[in-house]
Amino acid sequence: MRFLIVDDSSTMRRIIINTLKKLGHHECYEAGNGREGVERLATTPVDMIITDWNMPEMSGIDFVRAVRANEATRQLPVLMVTTNAAEEDIVEALKAGVSNYVVKPFTPDTIKEKIQAALRMAPSRTR
Amino acid sequence: MTIPETVVDHLVVATEEVFETMVFRPIVRGAQLDGDAVRPPSNVVATVAFAGHRRGLVAFHSSLAAAREIAGSMLGMEPNAVNGEMPDAIGEIANMIAGAFRTKLAAVEPASAIAVPTVTIGSDFSTRYGSAVTRVLCPFEMDAQTLYVELILNGE
Ligand SMILES: [Mg+2]
Repeated sequence: MRFLIVDDSSTMRRIIINTLKKLGHHECYEAGNGREGVERLATTPVDMIITDWNMPEMSGIDFVRAVRANEATRQLPVLMVTTNAAEEDIVEALKAGVSNYVVKPFTPDTIKEKIQAALRMAPSRTR
Repeated sequence: MTIPETVVDHLVVATEEVFETMVFRPIVRGAQLDGDAVRPPSNVVATVAFAGHRRGLVAFHSSLAAAREIAGSMLGMEPNAVNGEMPDAIGEIANMIAGAFRTKLAAVEPASAIAVPTVTIGSDFSTRYGSAVTRVLCPFEMDAQTLYVELILNGE
């Protein structure tokens, strides 16, 4: 499995990548905001996206909308990792096309479980 | 003019949650300081502005040594090995505190929107804000270190 981790915090990207490595996933690509994420997806196919919401230049919500609007990436599972956890936030995220949601701050067990759950729900690869 | 106790409590609890889950370091809350009589002696300040139903700023203050310890704990590194990682880690701490605080408030009032964090590192600087603000400074003990989380609200 190939992952794209989109977060403006290098610390948060590292925490997520370390968790993925512990789960046996070593192919991780990084982007610092939604715009960089879109650019990365144009050249690098991935199997799952993990994205922040609050980012400069292009927010996670706009990024997810762009992912869903693109034929090539429309079906990708998207896990959103964010502090935005008000009811209206979750509604907005689901409307934009987010598949799973992790609220920050999270414990190491929580992020691991949410990633595993997202992987179980992900469509099997047909390449 | 003071900030309502329930609002300050949301900020304190948000800070405790961030340290418990992401820094793995217990912190002990101290007595809150209203106004700007006490300025935290900090070398690292991370601020997150918010706007909407409320307007203002959440600021996290710490010493350089404490900031390195926090970054090291988050990343599983020795504090001595932490260098370039520190500003981003402290920015993310402020982001999570402000974000968790915003979510708690959004359960009882219209949600505000938070901006991305700004981190300043230096010595002997002080922060000044206009006079039409209300502020509260919440100290926390992390072992021998004192950390501060400040809330500044416009026009209350
Ligand atoms: Mg962010």
